[in-house]
Order: sequence, then structure tokens, then C-alpha cells
Amino acid sequence: MSIKTKEVLKDDIVQAVVVADTFGDEFLPISSDIPLALFPLINKPLIDYTLEFLSFGGIEETFLFCCSHTEAIKSHINQGIKDGAEWSLTMKVNVIVSESCHSFGDCLRDLDRKGILRGSFVLLEPGTLSNIKLLPIIRKHNEIANKDKGAAMTLIFQESGIGQMGRDPNEEAVVAVNSSNRILFHRKMGQSRERKIEFPLEIFLDNSSVSLHHNLKDTHIAICSPSVLPLFSDNFDFQTKDDFVKGLLMNEEILGSTVYCHITKGNNYGGAVTDWRMYQAVSRELQNKWIYPLQPSVLRNNILKNGVIVGKGVHIKDNKNIINSVIGDNVHIGENVQIRDSFIFSNTKINDGVIVTHSVIGPNCEIKSKTKITVGSIIGKGVTLEKEHLIEDTLVQATEPENCDPKDKLDKKAFRLKVTGTEDDLGKILSKKLSRLHIEDNRPEESDDDAFSDSEDEELSYTQSPVPDDTKLFFTEVIDSLTRGFEDELRCEHLILEINSSRYAYNVTVREVNFNVIKAILHMSLRLSTGPQYFSQFVRLLSYFAPVLKNYIRNDDAMLDTLQAVEDVAISNENVNEKWVMFVLKWFYDKDYISEDVILEWSKTLDAKSRFYAQVKPFTDWLEEAEEASSSDED
Amino acid sequence: MPQNANLSDVITLISDIKHGKVFSSYEIALRTENLLEKVISEEKWANAKELMQQIKGKIQQVTQSLPLETTATNIMRHILKVIREECDQVSKKKGEGQSLHQLVTADQSEERDYSESHGDLKNCLLDHLTEYKVELETSTENIAAQALEHIHTKEIILTVGKSNTVEKFLKHAAGQRSFQVIVVEAGPLYHGHKMAASLALSGIQTTVIPDSGVFAMMSRVNKVIIGTHSVMADGGLRAASGVHGVALAAKHYSVPVMVLAHMYKLTPSYVCSHEKDTFKMCASPANIIPYSTGPLLNKINVYNPIFDYVPPELVTLFISHQGGNAPSYVYRLLSELYHPDDYELY
Repeated sequence: MSIKTKEVLKDDIVQAVVVADTFGDEFLPISSDIPLALFPLINKPLIDYTLEFLSFGGIEETFLFCCSHTEAIKSHINQGIKDGAEWSLTMKVNVIVSESCHSFGDCLRDLDRKGILRGSFVLLEPGTLSNIKLLPIIRKHNEIANKDKGAAMTLIFQESGIGQMGRDPNEEAVVAVNSSNRILFHRKMGQSRERKIEFPLEIFLDNSSVSLHHNLKDTHIAICSPSVLPLFSDNFDFQTKDDFVKGLLMNEEILGSTVYCHITKGNNYGGAVTDWRMYQAVSRELQNKWIYPLQPSVLRNNILKNGVIVGKGVHIKDNKNIINSVIGDNVHIGENVQIRDSFIFSNTKINDGVIVTHSVIGPNCEIKSKTKITVGSIIGKGVTLEKEHLIEDTLVQATEPENCDPKDKLDKKAFRLKVTGTEDDLGKILSKKLSRLHIEDNRPEESDDDAFSDSEDEELSYTQSPVPDDTKLFFTEVIDSLTRGFEDELRCEHLILEINSSRYAYNVTVREVNFNVIKAILHMSLRLSTGPQYFSQFVRLLSYFAPVLKNYIRNDDAMLDTLQAVEDVAISNENVNEKWVMFVLKWFYDKDYISEDVILEWSKTLDAKSRFYAQVKPFTDWLEEAEEASSSDED
Repeated sequence: MPQNANLSDVITLISDIKHGKVFSSYEIALRTENLLEKVISEEKWANAKELMQQIKGKIQQVTQSLPLETTATNIMRHILKVIREECDQVSKKKGEGQSLHQLVTADQSEERDYSESHGDLKNCLLDHLTEYKVELETSTENIAAQALEHIHTKEIILTVGKSNTVEKFLKHAAGQRSFQVIVVEAGPLYHGHKMAASLALSGIQTTVIPDSGVFAMMSRVNKVIIGTHSVMADGGLRAASGVHGVALAAKHYSVPVMVLAHMYKLTPSYVCSHEKDTFKMCASPANIIPYSTGPLLNKINVYNPIFDYVPPELVTLFISHQGGNAPSYVYRLLSELYHPDDYELY
């Protein structure tokens, strides 16, 4: 068996498919001039990083699928091969052009028709960067495919903490995996506002061990078996890879195909630039060496203080206000310019007094003095902004868009671009917030609150009743027993028996028993109807429970517990007045349940300023006088 | 154009290094040596000057792509020196040989014109290269053969991480003497574990200690024997991260620090040299703090430096295949290995 697989592996060259277009409008207006593959990521086109990653991973032949700006991509690849770029030595890159494809699925159907792929291949979604060594994972996939004939795809995930910048909030995924790494359940929470997930019961019944993962980040890398392309061709509604996975999992019995997963550990990283926020995150991670050995080119870039990277030929008059930004080649920056957390592409001129925060300025732009560009604005290629515009959370492009409002014209070479969506307003606002550049760490949590406020309330009410601990259960049981006993006129010995058995059931200590019993009786007294008859009823209640009291209040400690119970009840109930406290204390004193020494000692431990102390004071004063009187009598 | 064609072999070597197909400095040295053999025997060059230009071009290419790969560039620089020497010898044969007086009064600014062609320059160079290859192949054994001079019975030796040279050195001595070895783990990659396992398999009594335990154990140690990535021109070391701490602890307790270094590790550059980021080279922070940590990572910068600089005061002895040398003697060794004009080729 192993000899056969070795032979098979020798014949197959490892191939990879990279789809270079996103087919969406996430990157407008810059993507109307530059294809995603050639977006500069720290001054090097994105596709270069992807190809470097593939060649390090051991891939020998790559098919690059382009649907727009194909000439630019082709000439870039050819230039790379001519210059002897490293990936070109070990990997052959074929550019496949297809102008008629409108989605990821269409591209794969096209590939299926062409029939150029043999064996298992690696499938990358657009804008993927990684440092994962692919060959061992491909080998593992082939082994799995030998055992399970229906294994279609192995998705690669990376362990990632929630709230981390690199983890796309649009792609929160919950995955259920069994012990052989087969995916049983896969849901991308993304923009849906539901906080509850329903797992089908079968996955737990059919598998001996299931692990649920919410700590995974989709690396957008998948190892596919040869059966994947025909599956795409058969099902025309598979438009994206997520559709494919969802479809396969839903129709497992019909299609007979399974999806596996591989979770990378250690310093393996995988991520894709799917929107501006991920562009910012991947750029930050590239800078911080998470994707080692992929790193910003040391030759082309200079690293300045405050986390700023600049390209070649950059002129900056004064860089003390430039923080955490990436500046492309040949950029001229004037005086008093503040640039924070932004990306400025090449050949742009920024004049004095401009403020740019959390935005992207495209290539060949000119920003005249005192303009303010903030809050996730994207300026397209070739835009000229005259003085003193305030651009906030807007897309600006150089040429006039269709259906342009006159008020959208900012300048003769600057037009506001509106991107229409089909979702409801809240969904659109949320998705926009999640996909534009990350502003601060606090902000996303706020926006989460806005969107998820109702479900959050539900959660709060859920957690408001804490898990009752045993003492409280004991207390409720005691009150129940005593109430029942009083109403049904049960004998006190039986009540004592009940209380003692409850005590053992809840493992309550002796002192707590005393405390809770007294507390229970006092609580019962509070339920009595108020009025002139109150105290006589109270007396009746207390006398009825006399044997119980006698049983539990036997020593000094118990007396202290009793007093504490009184204190507890008095403090927790505001209706309790001084008269009640006095009455209770006097009754206990008269019936000789509590000795005066203990009362006096206890009163000294009370907080002098509390209301309760004021209520107790008259009684203790009276006691002291009585004591003196009695002792003087004795004398 | 011929320039570009020649660079393709260097580019292949660079790409192999980057892909990890050639890993240890010994393998890189052998590959470089093969490359040079091919250049000298197969490429077209009319005279020494052209040959040197070609080799200089290759050195520049390697320095640009892999600023840290000093092994390859050092060997190429050495070959440049050999070429110059051969030319000198041939031209001096015509004269009377360099007398002491000529050496003293030799004018530095005299440009040696290397553009005379020599018929047997090629053969001389190839002979030299074969000798050099033999030297390379046996250098590790030669270093190991000196082990008995340095390691005595019942000594406690400390070493850091994993080094093939140190391993062979210790195993050679273990054949005849019994001693103990303490291996420092060397986080964050913990190569020390593999080293300890390998030493223990050869019957050496080994202890593994964490990096934090170095100072505590240093008072018991007799000698520190370490390998290094490269030796700088001032006698300092560019070694794996963590070695500086060990060297400082050794200095405190006056424990001798011996560095096993092949001749191709001697680099004619200093710490604050033109190569801007060499000591700031950092690997992925995921080895220190995992990616799954969460939002904390948005607020911090994590650095995982690969190299450490150890100043020459902390090193006692350099052991090469020719014997032991003090760090203050390194400048002399450099002048024997490389020609001063070839020191800086950026």
C-alpha cells in the first residue's frame, strides 16, 4: 500500500490554484484601477507574497486565475520570471485568463473544463498569505483520501484568540470535528446576529468524540481532492468556497463527500486580505514577523520610529506626527502633516497641514492643504483634493461614477462613491463597520453592543439568578418545614428531626444551622399581618417554636448566632423598626435563651454608626441599668 | 548579460538556503566550494580581473538577498585572496621575489593590474580549490582532535543549544576521558534537548538546565564550550540568542569560554556595519507568545531575536582546525584569509 502511494506521489507534481480576484466591491475604488493581486502590502505586490509562500511550501506548479486587469498581472508575473525572483526557480506559474467568470465557483468550473489539474491540489482564495509548509499536509490529506474515498477537501485553520486583530469578525466560525478530524458541523457566524447555534443531534450520536471549536481562524487555504472540481461543475449554486463546504455538509448522504480539517499550531500562520480591515491586520502582522519567513523587504523599505515603514524616494518634511503607517515610494509629505494608522500608496503628494487617520490614500493622488481624511475613508487612484475638505468614512474616486449626485462632486477630480448593498440598514452598517479599517480597540466592542443589544439583555437575565448554593437551599427548606409545621400544628420534635436531616443533606455546619433556623423563624414573623395584633401573634409564633429554640440555642456560640440572625433580618428588611428589635431581644432575654453577658458583648461588636445599633442601644442601655441595679442589689 | 547568466547558480544556492534544503554551515560551505569550482573550470574568463569581477558580483548577490549568510561570502572572499596570491606569485617569479625591503616600502596605492592572462592560472586555482575542499571536509575532525588537550577527566563542561562541531568535539573526548556535560536548553526553540539526547546516547553524563539556571550552575562549571554562527572582525561573536548571558555568567566566575569556529566563519565585518538589520533579525513571535492569545496581541510588539552579539572580552579562546587563538589575534587571521580590498563589497 505504501509503495503504491509512493509511486503515485512521484508522478504527481504538486499543483496549486490561486484565484486572484475577489469579485466583490470590498476594495473599491482602488480595485477599479489596481487588481487585488497587485495591491501593495508594505510596498510589495500581494501576489509576490502568495507565490513566495507557495514556493516555500513545496508547490511546483501554480495556476493563477485572473478575471480582471489580466494584462497587468501577466506582465508582472513575466517581469518576475525575467528578474529571477525566488519563486520562479522552483515553481512554474501559469496565468489563466477568463473574462467571463463572475465568482469563485465559476473559476473552478472553468478549471474543470480545462482539465489541467491532476491529483490533489492546493486551493487558495484571493489575497492569501501564509508560512505553512504544505507538503506534509498534502501527504496527510492523501492518506485520509485513501481511507475515506469521499474525502473532498481539507480546510486549514489556525488557532486564534477572539478579539485579535487578525481574526476577521466577518468570519467567526464554529466548527465541530470528530476524532479523525472530519468536519461534522461548520457555520460561519459572520454578520448574522443570532447568538444561539443549534447543533444537529446526529453528530453527537454518531460519533464517539466530538470537539467544538470556536478558536479557529480560516486561513483560506484548502487541500482539494480531484473530486472537488466536478462537484463544483455539478452544482451551479456553489459560488464561494463557503457555499461548497456548507453544501457538502448538508448533503453528505447524497453527495457522499466529506470535508476534513487541519488545525495548524505553533508559528504557522495563514490569513487572507478579504477587506480593508484584514488588509490592515495582515499588514500589521507582516510587520511584526508573525508570517516569518515572509517579511517586508529590507532592501526596499526603511523602518522609521513609531512603527512607520517608508519606501524609496520618500520626502518627509517633519515626521514627528507620523505614527503606525505604511508609506509607498516617491511620496512627498509637507509640513505639519499628521498621519496615523494609515496607508499611503506610491507617487502621492500630501501638502501642508493635512490630517490623515485610519484611511487609505491611493496612488498618484494629490491632497492639498488642510484637508482632513478620517475614519476609514478610501481615496482612489489619481484623486486631487483641493483645500479644506473634511472626508469622513467615505470612498472617493477620481472619475465620475454613474448616477452621480451633484452634491457628491467634491472637486473636478474627486467624487464621492456610494456603494449600494442589498442588506437591511443595520446589517449594512454593521458589515461596513466590520470591514473598514479598525479604528481603536474600544470601538468594535461598542459597535457590537449596538448590534447585539437585545440578545445581550436575554443573556443578562439568564445569568441573574446565580446557582444557589447549599446554605440557601437549606434555608428555604427550613422555612418551608417550619411554615408547614406551624400551619398544620405538627409536633416540634418532628420539626427538629426534619431540620436535622436537611442539615445532613446539605452538609451545613452546626453554627449555620442555628443561624438559619432563627433566621427562618424571624422571617416567618415578618410575614404576619401588621396591626395591633402583630405582637401577640408574634408571641404565639415564638412560643409555638419554643422547643425548637430550646434545642438549638444551647451554648454561647448559639446565642451569638441567634443575635446575628436578628441583625441579619433587621438589616435586610427596612420595614423592621426599633420596636420589633427591642421586642425580639427582650423576649429572648426574658425566656432565658440568651444571657445578658452575651448580649452586651455582642452589642460592643456592632458598628456604632449603623441604624441597627441605634435600634439595639435602648435595649442594651436598659440591660446595663438592670445589671447595675441587680448587682447593687446583691451587694 | 553574461553577468546575469552567472548569477543563476548563486540564485539557486540562495533559494535552496531559503527553502531550508541546505541548512548547516558545513553544507553551505561545501555547496559554495562546488559552485566556485564550476565557475573556475567552466565559465569563460580571460584573466584574473574578470574572474574576480564575476566572483564579486556573486558576493554582492548573496549579501543582498541573505545578509546573514556569511559562510558563502567568506569562502568566496577567500578564493579572491587565493587568486590574488597566485597572480602575485606568478608575476613575482619573473622578478626576484618580494624581499623584506620591498614589503616595507610597498606602496599601498599601487594598483595591481590583474589583467595579464596566465595559462596555468586555472590549474593552479583548481589545485588550490581541491586542497581547500579537503581542508573543509576534515576541519570538523581536526577541531575534534584537539578535544583531549582541552577536556580533562572529571571536568564539568557547559554548552548551549545544539552545535554539530561541539557535539563531535565532546564525543571525541568522551572516548578517552570521563566528564560531565551540562547543556543549556536555549529557548525558545529548545535545541538543547536534541543535543543532550545525542550526547547521552554516546554515553556522556548529561544534564539539561533551563536558561534561567545558567548563573546558578556556573560556579560549578570548569569550562564553557560553545559553537557560533560567525566571528566578527573584532573577535566578538554573532551567536544564537542567549549566549551573551552565558558568557557574562562565565566572566563573573572566571570560567574560560572556548568557541569552536571553522575558518570560514571569520567575517571581516563589525557589529555596527553596513548590514543594517543583522542583529535585529527576529523570527516569528509565535514561539514566545502563541497566536491564540487573543486581543493582547493587538497592543504589544513581540520581538524574538535570532542572534546575540558577544563582545570579545568575554571570549577566552577560539579553536579552529589550526589550533587555538586569542580573540585579540583574530585581526591577524583575517588578514591571512582575506585581502583588505575585499572586506567591504557592498
